[in-house]
Amino acid sequence: MLIGLDVGSRAAKAAYRLEDGYEYRVVSSHSWEDLLRGREGVVISTGYFRKRVPHDFNVTEITTAIYGVRHFIRRRVDVIVDIGGQDMKVIDVERNDFVMNDKCSAGTGAFLEYIASYFALDVAELARLHRSARCAAPINSTCSVFAQSEVVSRLVEGYTKEEVIRGIHYAFARKIARMVPRHARSVALIGGTAKNAGVVEALSEVLGVRVHVPGEPQVVNAVGAVEYYLAREGER
Amino acid sequence: MIGITALVPAEVIYSCGEAALDLNNFVPTSKLEPEDKLCAWTAIWRELVLRGEVSIDRLVVVAGGDCYNALVEGEKIELAGKPTHYFTYPFDGNAGAMKEQLEALADFLGGIRDEAFGEVAELKKLALEVHEMRCSGEVGAEQGFLIEVSGSDLMGSLEKYRSAIEEVEETEVDYEYRVALLGIPPIYPDFHAFLQELGMHVVFDEMPFEFIRHTGKSLGEVAGSYAGYTFAGHISRRLRFLESQLKRHRVDAVIHFQQFACHHKLEDRLLRDFLHEKLGYPYITIEADLPSPTPQQARLRLEAFAERLGEVV
Ligand code: SF4
Repeated sequence: MLIGLDVGSRAAKAAYRLEDGYEYRVVSSHSWEDLLRGREGVVISTGYFRKRVPHDFNVTEITTAIYGVRHFIRRRVDVIVDIGGQDMKVIDVERNDFVMNDKCSAGTGAFLEYIASYFALDVAELARLHRSARCAAPINSTCSVFAQSEVVSRLVEGYTKEEVIRGIHYAFARKIARMVPRHARSVALIGGTAKNAGVVEALSEVLGVRVHVPGEPQVVNAVGAVEYYLAREGER
Repeated sequence: MIGITALVPAEVIYSCGEAALDLNNFVPTSKLEPEDKLCAWTAIWRELVLRGEVSIDRLVVVAGGDCYNALVEGEKIELAGKPTHYFTYPFDGNAGAMKEQLEALADFLGGIRDEAFGEVAELKKLALEVHEMRCSGEVGAEQGFLIEVSGSDLMGSLEKYRSAIEEVEETEVDYEYRVALLGIPPIYPDFHAFLQELGMHVVFDEMPFEFIRHTGKSLGEVAGSYAGYTFAGHISRRLRFLESQLKRHRVDAVIHFQQFACHHKLEDRLLRDFLHEKLGYPYITIEADLPSPTPQQARLRLEAFAERLGEVV
């Protein structure tokens, strides 16, 4: 069996290649060993810890994102935005380059988790609240600390919780958009945060382009690891 | 000892009976965190000289046609009491103007005494032979780079440089891709070795190659040669030169190394448009600030770059 193992800063994901497609599993990154227990096969690792976990081959998460997106979205995308737990990468597929924000939480999953925890919500609930808001409260900051004080100010001014969350999603999208190259006509969003429909909607609107989200955004890199291996094997 | 800051014709310095020391060579391994800084290179060598950690008698700064940060740092050193000379490359590559610069430099150094032109030219010829071996995979990039980058000051002594060249070991470099490293030499001391780990053999280091390419057996010849220093002239001349060198070195991909707060950063777009968009070379830009081992983020980007080269080369 071929196993794509993506061990990132927050979560560990595995994609097991079966005869008729893939099976997936996601655990917290400290429990990555669970993903290999009872499974035999060729392990292709990726993610922050790709060289720290047992593997037969390892490949960067930049390359796996490209191969994974190709597998899920069968059309050309110019740019891939990968929102991780503690970083965010913007991959320019065409130019074969990428930029990355790993110095602060702005534009990363950690930012949205911080905001969710302020409202005593689970991140998975943010999209639902976004949908029921009638407008977006004006939020400019994407620094967790400053954003929280802005959140409080907006609530004091009378905006609802839903409107503030919607505003947060737009601020988040603008932060990401600043890193996306102007020539991008089609964008794919991957990583667990891509499940948040509020973020996807805000990003499409801010960028003015369609944002594609693969069926399983969180395991794109794990699948991409296997797909890269297969492509390479095919060449040999 | 004459401190220099990048490419000051060493032929003239040694012919004036002096020895050269390129202050930049102390920067990549320095732990100093300079205050009042734009580019880390110039700020660090300025501090090293002002604090007396590198001892020189006089300073020659490349002030025109190449680096204006260096000019100001040179002024600071001069105001602190060190005799300093400002050396300028003619932007239009005029050999007559270059010769005047060399004469002014020689005057500053007390005039030409024992001509070392012939010996330096011979050493540079030997360095070019090492370069050719590096191109054919018989010398590792790290070692080749050291010989070429030391072409600026000849290691402070012609004998020392000669033995360094003689000690170069022949090996068989195992690599997948031939890479050109353009722009400022990397401020990360392990950069060439790291690229080698990724199967990328640097066969062409733009600036260091310039350090060994220019020479001459007389002042006139030296002037004519250095007038063609492409890094200090019009970008079109540099692009033409790069086009022919990349072809000659059979390069697969280009890494442009740039430095925070350096005006050469503005050239990235021009280089990318020409080398990548027009000529089709895979191209990546790495930007550095303070010296350190190659940081994780740059490593990740280069590793991904190497992985993708497999698809296009
Ligand atoms: S990197 Fe740029 S600013 Fe710094 S010394 Fe070199 S040319 Fe000057």
